[in-house]
Amino acid sequence: MEVINDFDLKKQADELGVSVWKTPSFLLIVMGVIIIVAMTAIYFISRKYDQPEILMGVESAVVVIILIIGNSIIRQVDGMARLNKLKTEFVSVASHQLRTPLSAIRWETELLLSKFGCGLNEKQCKSIETINTLATRMTRLVNDLLDVTRIDQGRLILRKEKVNMAEVVDEITESLLLLVKAKKLHLTVNKKNKKTLVMADKDKIKLVIENLLSNSIKYTADNGKIDINLIVRDGFLVFAIRDNGVGIPKEQQAQVFSKFFRSDNAVKYQTEGTGLGLYIAKNIVEQSGGRIWFQSIEEVGSDFSFSLPLA
Amino acid sequence: MNKKILVVEDESSLQDAMREFLLAEKFAVVVASDGEMALKLAKSEKPDLILLDIILPKKNGFDVLIELKADNVMKKIPIILLTNLESADDVDRAFSLGVSTYLVKANYKLEEIVEKIKEMLKI
Repeated sequence: MEVINDFDLKKQADELGVSVWKTPSFLLIVMGVIIIVAMTAIYFISRKYDQPEILMGVESAVVVIILIIGNSIIRQVDGMARLNKLKTEFVSVASHQLRTPLSAIRWETELLLSKFGCGLNEKQCKSIETINTLATRMTRLVNDLLDVTRIDQGRLILRKEKVNMAEVVDEITESLLLLVKAKKLHLTVNKKNKKTLVMADKDKIKLVIENLLSNSIKYTADNGKIDINLIVRDGFLVFAIRDNGVGIPKEQQAQVFSKFFRSDNAVKYQTEGTGLGLYIAKNIVEQSGGRIWFQSIEEVGSDFSFSLPLA
Repeated sequence: MNKKILVVEDESSLQDAMREFLLAEKFAVVVASDGEMALKLAKSEKPDLILLDIILPKKNGFDVLIELKADNVMKKIPIILLTNLESADDVDRAFSLGVSTYLVKANYKLEEIVEKIKEMLKI
């Protein structure tokens, strides 16, 4: 058992993005088992037959088998390494090449609206605003896809810094306030609690909260209610958000955190969405040493919470 | 006197947008489109702040940073790294080289970048 623990197959498989039986260590163990079986076979054969030719033949066969397996291991590892490098390159190329033109579209339209807006009529401004919103949405999609690639490759690296969750919550509620107002939602934020410092990656935690809050906004009907609470519990800070939105059907609740999952009623209610937000959120929270969970009743509402270790 | 910003950016569309926005915000703006030019202008123009990209022709942003920090006068100029690279390695490297702020272009509006600049220059 020692050996297997040292090799840590699960970790290897995660890093390479393959199933456990395809990892180099697993193949090495298989090779070991074959050698032992072959040696035992040779031992019994040599006891039964006292002819050097047979012994030689069997030994050569064992050598050939070992060479074949060894070769296949090397090829597997090599192939996986190459594939991994390709994936990493794709991620960096995509992140740079796709986001640069998107940044340009957003910045140029922002410039038009906020500095060069004079002379444009209302309809023209509206069109430019739409272009800006869509470019922002596309940027978010690219970001989400990049995060998913990183998560799948075990390459999502989080920084550890002191983050004041109360401030983060304020920043995000402020940035989404227009959407809240547009639907006349009643948003309350309760953060009376003084201990709101956690250890986490600020940008990524912002993303988690943004995902949860924008879900609540998206899936709650006009005039609905959203409550946010920050609570300290056993060395953790818990962020809880409750809405009286469409909720998640019971039979689909087990899949909520799966990649690309969107519940049937969610799709009916709001066509926009990738089903990546909660998958990313779960990975970020768990990798930060916390937990994420929810309760939901269809047509009544949802209650999502996550915890992070206090700083 | 208007504060002077050195914008180091090789992509012309981003360069234009930043320059125009900063001008409209009453900053003086100098633009460099590669690493060598950035160092030359940092020396001659004495900017109050530098917006620095990482992927640049001739000399990349990290090399520019190292040279700026090695110079007794220029090392005091505050620097905002403004890039679309965001691997933890890049971010850590930037902070270890003395960058005070690291922003991912795709995630920031010009308005937010200007806010950061004002915050850093205390205006």
